[in-house]
Parts: sequence; structure tokens; C-alpha cells
Amino acid sequence: MSQLSFLSLVFRFSIVNEENLGNYTCVFGNVAELVFILAAPQIGEIRDKPIVSYVGDFVVLTCKMEENKPTPNSWNWFKYNGTEKEQISVAAEPHRYLISSEGWKTKLKVKNVSEADSGLYYCGAVYAISTSLSHVELKVITILEPLKPFLSILVEVVILVAAILIYERSHSKRKEAEADGPNADPMNTQ
Amino acid sequence: MTNSKLKSKSQGNGVESPDGGWGWVLVVAMFVSTSLVFGLMRSLGVFFVEFVQYFEENAQAISWISSIGLAAQQFFSPLGAALCNAYNTRPVVMTGGFLSGLGLILASQATCLVHLYLTMGVISGLGWGLVFTPMVATVMANFTHRRALAVGLGFSSIGLSSFAFNPLFQLLVETYAWRGALLILGGLSLNIMACGALIRPECRSKGPAKLDSQSRLPCSVMLQRVFSYLEVSLLCERPYLTYTLGVTLFNFGYFVPYFHLVAHSRHVGFSEYGAAFIMSAAGVTDIFGRIVSGWFSDLGHFRVIHLLILWTVLAGVFIMLLPVSSLMGSYSALMVISLLYGFCSGALTSMVFAVVPMIMGVERMMGGLGLLQLIESCGGLLGTPLSGWLRDNTGNYVASFMVAGSFVLLGSLTMTTLPHFFSCTDPPPPKRPVLIDNSDALRLELAQKNCCSSEMNHQAVEQTKR
Repeated sequence: MSQLSFLSLVFRFSIVNEENLGNYTCVFGNVAELVFILAAPQIGEIRDKPIVSYVGDFVVLTCKMEENKPTPNSWNWFKYNGTEKEQISVAAEPHRYLISSEGWKTKLKVKNVSEADSGLYYCGAVYAISTSLSHVELKVITILEPLKPFLSILVEVVILVAAILIYERSHSKRKEAEADGPNADPMNTQ
Repeated sequence: MTNSKLKSKSQGNGVESPDGGWGWVLVVAMFVSTSLVFGLMRSLGVFFVEFVQYFEENAQAISWISSIGLAAQQFFSPLGAALCNAYNTRPVVMTGGFLSGLGLILASQATCLVHLYLTMGVISGLGWGLVFTPMVATVMANFTHRRALAVGLGFSSIGLSSFAFNPLFQLLVETYAWRGALLILGGLSLNIMACGALIRPECRSKGPAKLDSQSRLPCSVMLQRVFSYLEVSLLCERPYLTYTLGVTLFNFGYFVPYFHLVAHSRHVGFSEYGAAFIMSAAGVTDIFGRIVSGWFSDLGHFRVIHLLILWTVLAGVFIMLLPVSSLMGSYSALMVISLLYGFCSGALTSMVFAVVPMIMGVERMMGGLGLLQLIESCGGLLGTPLSGWLRDNTGNYVASFMVAGSFVLLGSLTMTTLPHFFSCTDPPPPKRPVLIDNSDALRLELAQKNCCSSEMNHQAVEQTKR
């Protein structure tokens, strides 16, 4: 229902369900245009770097709503399996997942991860009117990944130590050879 | 002939150490090993966020890890010094490097917080303790005229490596998670073994233990030897006690700005970014301060102890000025005072170590440094909680900074009571007291002669060649 007066235009309506959310634009001829975005509270910080974990270990994925926004009624977690977002249900697989939600924060603990668990996870803050989504990426690697740089550093340390000790031994042997050469009996000359 | 005899005599006494040559290689070794000890310790903050999330503990429980590590490093310093006196420095430092790497490697497999306390805290801390004091003492023993500069250059690594390690550790954690990052850090720490390998074994006048390994010694003699390795006799000397007390008082106030400056700046109203920038800038002037003060003191215009008092008085004054400048509301004033404070605190660090051989002589430096580290750790451990308590009770940081500055000034006052303080030239360093009986003294001379005879021959040959 709109009310037009000389200086303003008022559009009053009730938000009934999710379909009422979206962008509303108010146009004044071709002089001015104002866009209103009507939405449930959105999760601000989205972590762009993936969370890394190791095969057999557990990992904790977190989502946080800013505390200056209304508290979500509940939280849901989804896994993206290539085609759609599949809701993670703790009741179905209690030995694999554990969801603990408290106010503005939620944590998904994935136990005993394997490489199949890699991928995108979505957390949804459930409000009465709609759910706001945010995503976080999980990357599962094996212990071999950091082992490669570690072993190369190990090799470098061994080579350095060996080189230093060998250099010192050859240096002192050379000095002894020099001393014995020209002065066969150094004690007598003194 | 007389020339070579004189030179070999001075080598035996150990009063004049050769400057330069292999000494500079040791400075590089100290640079690398100190950065891998303290630079690493200072950059562990990157891991704490990960630990809090993984182990689901609060920040205080996690911060115990680095507290235990630092405490272990300081507590085991006398042990490291004693082992170097008993055996040679090289195996001790290499063992220390191995232990510090091992601690981090084991920490990568931790499944609970206690594992981290034991591995990253105790084992790595023990390793760091076996590395730091011997490394510093060795570098100082290898220099006489350029001692302060060498030490300053070696310590500059701490500031530089904190700059480099923070982004590096962040990258490692993002690529390999904290487990992989700790594993790689353990590997990096093993490089300390290479630094230790550069220390050449030398014959020193602490030979008795090496000779009498076969014969069984009575308990009292063993105890006497252990005490001599630990240089416990130093605790009975007034100059050493005065100096240690002064350094402990410094430690009460020295760390306060590093811990509380950022919080204080935010409290006064500056932005997060501005506060962090002040800390980084103070870190840069800290590096300059260490090198410049070392170079300046080696020029010889002033006595090292007078320069130490100069830098500590200035540092104490600047600490007290920090809250005053920020209360005026000016960011530039706070920045200037912080830069000056950074310079003075770096300058006094070099001087604190350079004065040590003057107090106790070069031969006892190893044990003396170890004991000094242990005793001064009390100041560091108590100073920061005290300032935190003051802040909680008064509501702002003014009282904490004032108290910290006054502790530093009190330490300077204590230093003025050192003997021969007001003279213009350095007094001769004290000799270590003779604790061994005559038969041991004779065997000592023989051992020295045998061990050093090859060295003396080389010196003789070189002399005759010239």
C-alpha cells in the first residue's frame, strides 16, 4: 500500500515470509533512485583461506555472527557434495560429527577426517524469516605434505654439520703437516 | 724465541683474546642460534589462536606454554654453563640444538595441552637453555676490543628474526596447519646444531675431571668440582651480587612496555593499527640500539659500566614519560618516546652482557652468565604480573609504567655501588679463587701443556717464519 504526498513516497507492508525479502527500489522520475535491501542478518567475516587438517585427526570449523546483530534462533551445517548442499545431521552419524551452537557462535567438529571430507561446508544462521549462509573450506592432507620440507631441512643440517667438521679436521691436519715439514723437531729449536 | 714464549704464555692465561678471524664466524653462529631461540619464542603467538581453537582451552592456559618455555630456558642456563665448564662447549650446544628441535617435532604429535607443556615447554626450553648462555659466553671470550659490537650484532638477530618469523609462521600455519608447521619449525631449530659445530674445542683450565675419570673420587671433592663448574663461588662475591641485583631490578621494568604498550595505546584512544605500528617502530630502533651501542662502547671513550648506567637511566626516564606523552593525546609524542625507549632498551641489552667479563673475569664468564640468567628471571616473571595488577587496581597504565621506570632507575642506582665505579679506568678483572690442592695444580699444568703443545708449536713456527 503506497501513500504519495508532495515530498515523499511511503510504501508500508508486512514481511510475511521469505518472498518479501529482496531489493526494493524507489524511483523519482529519472532524477533519483534509492535501493533498499531487505534481508536477514548476514554473516560478515568469511574466512577465505581453507582450514587444513590431517587424515585421522579431528577438525573444528567455526562460524560467528557479529554480536551487534540479532542472535540466530539456531544453526545448521551443510556439506557441499558437488551438486547440492546436504544438511549434516548429528543424529545420523554421531561418531563423525558434533555440532555445538551457542548464541552467536557455532562449531562443527568433524572427527577422524579422511580425504573425502575435503570441500566446502556451509553454516546457516536460522532466523524466523530466513537462513543466512556462510561457507568455510576444509582441506585434508596427509602427513607426507609437511614431511617433504622437513626432510629437506634435515638433509641440509646433516650436510652442514658434516662439512664443518670435515673442514676443521682437514684444516688441522694441514697445519700439522706444515709444522712437521720444515721443523722436524720443534722442541729442540726452542 | 722469547717472542714465541711470551705469546704462548698469554694464550695459556687467557687474558687477551684474539679479535676477529674465527670470532666473526662465531658471531654469525650466535646470530643464527639466538634468532632460532628468542626470535622463535617471540613469534609463537601465531600458534596460540590455533591452539585455542583446537584444544578448546582459554588463552591463559595456552599462554602457559611459552611461559614454561622461557622459564625452562632461564632455569637450565646454569646447567648449560656447568656442562660447558665440565666438557667442551661444542657438544653442549649441539645437544641443546637437538633437544630444542626434538621438543618441537614431538609437539607436532600432541593430543592434549599437557603434551605441549612438556614438549614445547620443558624439552625445547631445556634445549634453549643449553644453547643461549654457552653461545654468548663463547662469543665474548673470543673478543676483547670489539666485544660489545660482536655481542650487539649477535643480539640484533632477535629483533630482525621476529620481523621475519611472524609472516613466515603465519604462512606455515596456513599451508600445513599447526602440526605441520611445528614439525617444520623443529627441523629449522636443528640448524642450531650446525651453529654449535662451528665452535672450536679449546683447552681450558678446568681439566681435572677429564683426567680423573677412572679413579673414584670422594663425595666432597665431586661436590666441590660441581660447585666450581656452576661458579657458585661467585654468589659470595659482593660485586657479582650487586650486579645481579641491579640486572634483576632492570628485568622488573624492562618487559612492561613490550607487554602493555599496545593495550595502553588502545586504552588512550589510538587505533589498533596505530598501536601495533608503534611496537614495530620501537622494535626497529631496538635493533639499531644494540648495534650502535656496541660499536660506540668499543671505541673506548667511556667505560662500559658508565655507558650502561647512561642507557638504563635514559630507558627508565623514557618508560616513565610514555604515559605522560600519551595523556597529552598526541600520537607523535608517543611515537617519539617509544622510538627513544626502543633505542635505549636495545642499547642497554648489549651493555648488560658486555659488562659481565669486567665483573668476574673471562674465565668465570660461562658460569656467571648462567647464574645471572637464572636470578634475573625472577624479575621478568614478577614484573609483568605486578604491572597487570597495578593496572587492574588503578584503572589505567600510568601507575604500571611509573613503577616499571622506577625499578629500572633503582637498578641503575644499585649499579653505582659497584667497586671502582667512580674511577675513570677499568679495574683489573678478579681472578678465580684457587679451590684445588697442589697435586691437582701440577696435573693441571701438565694437561694444559700436553693439550696446548701442538697449538704452541704452530705459534712458534709462525713466529719463526716471521
